[in-house]
Amino acid sequence: MANRFCVSLTHAKNDPDKATVGFVVANAAVGSGKETLVFLSVEGVRLAQKGYAEDIREEGFAPLRELMDNFAKAGGTIYVCSPCFKKRKLDENNLVTGATIVGGAKLVEFLSDGSPCVSY
Amino acid sequence: MSEPRAAAVDREWDAGELGCGELVLELRGRVQAMAPGAVLRLIALDPGAPADIPAWCRLTGHALLDHAHPVYLIRRKET
Repeated sequence: MANRFCVSLTHAKNDPDKATVGFVVANAAVGSGKETLVFLSVEGVRLAQKGYAEDIREEGFAPLRELMDNFAKAGGTIYVCSPCFKKRKLDENNLVTGATIVGGAKLVEFLSDGSPCVSY
Repeated sequence: MSEPRAAAVDREWDAGELGCGELVLELRGRVQAMAPGAVLRLIALDPGAPADIPAWCRLTGHALLDHAHPVYLIRRKET
């Protein structure tokens, strides 16, 4: 069984339901002892900005900010797609805890040991 | 089904309606804070818990001593 788990998340406020569920599943993975990566790309990169997720709160779920904080505290990793981030002219000095801006090679490296990946 | 019982329960946690990742992440922290071999009596009302809690125990190596939804007896692994 692979010891890694990846959640690929491409949405932010354009689909807060998907953004929230992506982190819920990531927390299930990190909570089950997996080395867990959330890969933010396309609109999802906006979640990497401090403060952005503050007002995302889906019915039936904890607030997204809380889900993201718990993920980081549990040792989860967030990779942020560099070209997606740059295209949106976001601030690389204002990243949430646990987030790193990376190129595709870092994602490929993480997945290359046989990590499963689910996408939202 | 009668409620599962263990010889000794060291901790209890009523997780209420928590489910999915929110449940298992909090569960992880609580079990890790227990001594090796200690037993947690968990109450989890989420309808996914009967499938999720046994799966979580298989993934993490903690022992599911007994369960009758919504009560689960989990023994922390030794290491």
